[in-house]
Amino acid sequence: MADYQLVIIGGGLSGLASGIRAARFGLKTLIVEQHSLPGGLNSYYYRHGFLLETGLHAMTNFAEVGDRHAPLNRLFRQLKLSRKTFATHQQLSSLIRFPEVSLRFSNDLALLEAEVEQQFPHCRTPFQKLVAAVREYDPFHPAPWRSARRFLAGLIPDPLLVDMLLLPLMVYGNSEEHDMDLGQFVIMFQALFVEGFFRPHGTMKDFLTMLVEQYKGFGGELRYSSRVAGVRRQGDRVEGVELAGGEYVSCDTLLSTVGAPGTAALVGWPADAPKYEGQMSFVESISVLPAAQRAVLDAHHTIIFYNSQQTLSYKRPAIAMNPDWGVICFPENFQDLPEQDFFQVRITNPANYAIWKQADPKEYQRLKADSEARTFARVSEIIGNYQQNRVYHDSFTPLTIERYTAKAQGAVYGSPIKIKDGLTPYSNLFMAGTDQGFLGIVGAMLSGVTIVNQRILMRS
Amino acid sequence: MTRDDIKDLILDIIADIDEDAEFAGLDSDKPLRDQLDLDSMDFLDIVMELRKRHKLQIPEEEYPELATLNSCVNYLEPKLKDQ
Repeated sequence: MADYQLVIIGGGLSGLASGIRAARFGLKTLIVEQHSLPGGLNSYYYRHGFLLETGLHAMTNFAEVGDRHAPLNRLFRQLKLSRKTFATHQQLSSLIRFPEVSLRFSNDLALLEAEVEQQFPHCRTPFQKLVAAVREYDPFHPAPWRSARRFLAGLIPDPLLVDMLLLPLMVYGNSEEHDMDLGQFVIMFQALFVEGFFRPHGTMKDFLTMLVEQYKGFGGELRYSSRVAGVRRQGDRVEGVELAGGEYVSCDTLLSTVGAPGTAALVGWPADAPKYEGQMSFVESISVLPAAQRAVLDAHHTIIFYNSQQTLSYKRPAIAMNPDWGVICFPENFQDLPEQDFFQVRITNPANYAIWKQADPKEYQRLKADSEARTFARVSEIIGNYQQNRVYHDSFTPLTIERYTAKAQGAVYGSPIKIKDGLTPYSNLFMAGTDQGFLGIVGAMLSGVTIVNQRILMRS
Repeated sequence: MTRDDIKDLILDIIADIDEDAEFAGLDSDKPLRDQLDLDSMDFLDIVMELRKRHKLQIPEEEYPELATLNSCVNYLEPKLKDQ
């Protein structure tokens, strides 16, 4: 008999959600996480007394309590967590800002509709048609890749509006360059524009603690600082995992949440690895400012998606970091959050993994300082001087992301090719998480839930 | 288990998997799915709870037997007669 019925590689959100499902129904389950904290991409750390959240700008897929079919609420039922006692704060409003035109949106789609009507009068009806088409489209029905750009070009007569709509949807979850799969577009449109942004009342740490406690309450086991060094296999089956310390743990079923390239490397799966390597990575900077500084900044939105060029160039830049487009987030700007002594400004810009990877330590530091200066030059034009009086600053590069999240090349949204059914060439090895094609915190967790339901619970 | 016990068991399971469940006016001959607004993921939870609590293995092709409260009772009665 194997040591565990299920071993899950990775204690990020998809791994924790998978673990809760399996343990809830009595499977002897072990999660192995390489770091000393859970969360993966969405985790936290402490510096100078501040608890800083990584990854999280906002959660998408907001839903009111009682909206039974909404992804967020289905997720809570599946994890046997009480949605009624989970307090949330909705966003204030967000902005898509291009050189000559801006569009505001909130969790009420009517605002975006009104903005489109005002800024693009000739697109009023086409936009309504787009919304109707999105509502009717079932993105979970298996379908071959279809170009979202071509679909949009057929509906919306203004390419500027197309780029403006695509910016937030791409930057919050598109692993492909330039274009995206129509199904993915629909998922993101629903998640951001129809359902919208919110954050939990507590911190990311509280959220992760809730998940870990739920998992352990069902009898699940979790080992931190346990890196999987390899997967033992026999023919078309996997038998267990070898941990970096030399220990071997056998299992009936193995679930990997470390992405397609990472999984392939562990198993020795002769996949065509390069095609599964995502190109989209980012540099993120966090600045912590005293509350009084808020008055001198244009800091009233929750998130600003900006592009300083006429068209959107969603691709890996040729330089280390491209400040031409990006995201400016104010994580304290959610409705009814208590006033804090400090607030954060988080800025995300596209980056080129290969350039950061090649740099020696000295050059890496120079690139970091240079990126910071170029981001500042661009973003301070939009929101004002966000470095003045700052009490803390830090930035993450594609290498930081790769190191802490096991995402190959720091590609936060994983592989451009999604393995939607979670299947691998091995009959008892499955994949969940980003590379299964569900994105965001709610999406990653639903991915874990779905794969455990379909591949493990319904089969066992 | 008697037929009434099985009915209670099903309702207990649904109350357990869904904090919003409201049983007032529930018609035993009408689909649970429509009346309680359950989706396929909720339905899987009913099956999994039956497995966890009573060691019942219900193959996927027999899930439709659980459509209404009465069909649940009819289907489960022989399986639970000794429990």
